[in-house]
Amino acid sequence: MEIQDKMIEATKEIFSSMVMMEVSVNKIMEEHGPLTDTITGMIGLAGTHKGILAVHFPYSVAMAITSSFLMMDVEEVNEDVHDAVGEIANMLGGNVKTILSEKGRDIDLSLPSTISGSQYNFQSDKQVEKVIIEFGTGNGTFMVEMDLET
Amino acid sequence: MGENVLLVDDSSTMRKIVGRSLRQAGLDFDNIFEAADGVEALEVLESESVDIVLSDINMPNMDGISFLREKSTRDGIKDIPVFMISTETGDDIIGEAKSLGAIGAMKKPFTPDKVNEVLGPLM
Repeated sequence: MEIQDKMIEATKEIFSSMVMMEVSVNKIMEEHGPLTDTITGMIGLAGTHKGILAVHFPYSVAMAITSSFLMMDVEEVNEDVHDAVGEIANMLGGNVKTILSEKGRDIDLSLPSTISGSQYNFQSDKQVEKVIIEFGTGNGTFMVEMDLET
Repeated sequence: MGENVLLVDDSSTMRKIVGRSLRQAGLDFDNIFEAADGVEALEVLESESVDIVLSDINMPNMDGISFLREKSTRDGIKDIPVFMISTETGDDIIGEAKSLGAIGAMKKPFTPDKVNEVLGPLM
């Protein structure tokens, strides 16, 4: 299965089983512009495959997702939102690792981290192959991005 | 059920969701203790009565594998069963966890039905 298809499958599974939200693919992209009022969760891969798996949520989508995830009202981008976004990146990273490494010891995952801001660029200074998938929710769109060193 | 469970995960979101999934699966506990890493988990095990531990693997300070290794050296707590709940479900990692005493593993993400199916028989 292509990594792109697995990323789509994993994202849909995470959202339907744990966030209690259905998501659909809007489009596949190779680039995206500066991120605005967004929170990014990311996890690094090291070993036979090196790169980063990231999820980019506009604030409004991140709050809606966290609210659904935790079954409580969320009205600001607080610690819960950062934690939830980091955990979504962590679960996606684990799934991607499973595709790239059957045994599990030839690729190491970093701990998840998050960044957020009113406007920032998310890009690698290495030569990478990018897969970016935009998903739609009832509350807006978000992106899942995989950058693997070539 | 008259049992106490310890949830070990660096994500507070995930600890809440695992606790909620246990309740949704009909697996009620007298007490649900929480720890953010292996170091905190060992402290809880040394100070509270815990019947089963549900632990992540990929955590800061002391990860799930190191936690199992350290726990296995402590007489008072080494026999408390540990079940792994993690995104890390490769054969090598789960094999290592089981060699250190883990009684099983479940992959994130999961549904309450899966929690009931996998953990129900253990509790």
